[in-house]
Amino acid sequence: MTTRHRIGFVVVAALIAAVAIVLLRPEESSERAEDPGERTTQGADSRGGGAEREAGGRGTGGGPSNEPQEPTESPVQRIVLEGGQVSGGPQDVTVTSGEQVRLVVTSDGPDEIHVHGYDLTQDTAPGEPARFTFEADIEGSFEIESHTAEDAGLEPLIANLVVEPS
Amino acid sequence: MLSLLAHAGDLAGGRSDLPIPEELFGIAAAAVLVVSFIGLAVLWPKPRLEDGGFKAFPRVLSRVLLSAPAQILYGAVGVFLLGLVVWSGLTGVQVASANFAPTFVYVIFWLGLVPVALLFGDVFRAFNPWRAIARAVAWVAQGAARGPLPAPLTYPERLGHWPAAIGIFAFAVLELVVSNGTVPQTVAIATLVYSAITFVAMALYGVDAWSDRGEAFGVYFGLFARISPFCRRGDELGLRRPLSGLAGLTATAGTVPLLAVMIGSVTFDGASEAPLWTGVVPDINDFFGSLSLSPEKALEATFLVGLLAGIGLVYGFYRLGVAGARSVGGSLSGERLAKVFVPSLVPIALAYVAAHYMTYLLFQGQAISFLASNPLGEDGVDIFGTAGTAIDYSLLGAETVWYYQVAFVIVGHVAALTLAHDKALVVYDEPTVAVRSQYWMLTVMVGFTCLALLLLSQSNT
Repeated sequence: MTTRHRIGFVVVAALIAAVAIVLLRPEESSERAEDPGERTTQGADSRGGGAEREAGGRGTGGGPSNEPQEPTESPVQRIVLEGGQVSGGPQDVTVTSGEQVRLVVTSDGPDEIHVHGYDLTQDTAPGEPARFTFEADIEGSFEIESHTAEDAGLEPLIANLVVEPS
Repeated sequence: MLSLLAHAGDLAGGRSDLPIPEELFGIAAAAVLVVSFIGLAVLWPKPRLEDGGFKAFPRVLSRVLLSAPAQILYGAVGVFLLGLVVWSGLTGVQVASANFAPTFVYVIFWLGLVPVALLFGDVFRAFNPWRAIARAVAWVAQGAARGPLPAPLTYPERLGHWPAAIGIFAFAVLELVVSNGTVPQTVAIATLVYSAITFVAMALYGVDAWSDRGEAFGVYFGLFARISPFCRRGDELGLRRPLSGLAGLTATAGTVPLLAVMIGSVTFDGASEAPLWTGVVPDINDFFGSLSLSPEKALEATFLVGLLAGIGLVYGFYRLGVAGARSVGGSLSGERLAKVFVPSLVPIALAYVAAHYMTYLLFQGQAISFLASNPLGEDGVDIFGTAGTAIDYSLLGAETVWYYQVAFVIVGHVAALTLAHDKALVVYDEPTVAVRSQYWMLTVMVGFTCLALLLLSQSNT
């Protein structure tokens, strides 16, 4: 391989690096690239709520127009089960690491709801929804399952708890 | 509808990695390209890895570590663990996450031995229970025989690494296709069946001959061990140049299929979470349903199709690259060339396994602490006092995991590049033809690497 070839390769490498740096310069916003298909369960949008609370919490004096405010309660995520299944299939419950997660699962029959990873289990019955309140201190994607569905041989997954890094 | 999570859903503890974000994917892909072109620019003009050199350890160390009592000890440990897997799988509680067998086989053994091989060389060969039992039986037979034992059959050249390729494929089917592959009893029975087959083969072809090329796990971990600087030459332990063990690997029949199975199965495992796959599953499933297969069997058949497709795609893409390399000149056939360059796929296979299963090993591997104390999953049993411990999922944050995954992919790519370049210099008479062939091999490597990054960026829904 001649020296010319070698110089040529280094030039190409430098060009690719330059293009990549220009195209991929990290943005300053607090948003991340979202999956277009991502949905939260019915209820408030937890992503927006989280971002607002973070900005308010950091509150560097004289910063942008966020008024200093008490931390708002994190929105409640609701899941409605019929026969151990969620209509429309399992959804994503997306929170940021460190946030308080508040989850309410309503069911039309007795059930046992299990949040993997955090290893939390709550019973539910008609008229008595299962309530989970915990801090999302472990990052990753965790399955939330209905034991009734699992015992019946149906798809046990009712939602995915997605805890993203802050 | 049956769960689409055909693989180890409950064994994984219901936790998955977060997909790598788009920006990181872009940076990583760009880095791969940059590094590749810099590699092409600086790589050496004369082959350097063929002769890896050998620096022996102090004789005392080799003598102690390789002595007969030591070898008996290693073998005994391996046999004990094999027995524990079978016993706990058959008699213990039939819940995958509470029984010793599934976690030991799918996590500690299958995944844990990979970094061990990488760091310490072919350690598994010492602990291989099948080898240990067969050698013990041979030793007893030798003592009991009144004359020389009949010679084993010669290992057929055409068989090559095919038994290993089929063995790893069968393991992948158990892990990814079979719907109750993590049930402890299934694991125990599979272990017994595999042991029986291995013993028969060792009896026919000789322990060493079968261990070198036919015994699936020995061959699998042995491939990764060739990357390590630690090696054994005769009765001496020592160091060699890293990667040179791979450069010295002579591929035979079945080696390319073996690598295709290794990379293809991890590819399918990753792709099975992607919308591309979950979108076509119902259609394939319905097709098998229309053939009057039960819903469970139809889903298994669907996943088998996916696994075969993953392996086929990997094999096809590699052969395409080799055909391109062949077109630049030289006198080697496509078959020969494919075999010559296949050792450079081993670092890529390693990168795939490391990136995809790192957290599975790190988290589910912790379960061994309470499973060792209570292998059968019974109430009240606590041998080492650790039966109450739980998996600590907060060990690694999501971002750290991402950076490690990307690092594995990039480092694997660089290693593969280096090996392929070195091999080309050996194989082609003219250096210019060697370099031209490398453009094709580089395209194959970049393709596999970007596929790995793409799989890491797939969402779970």
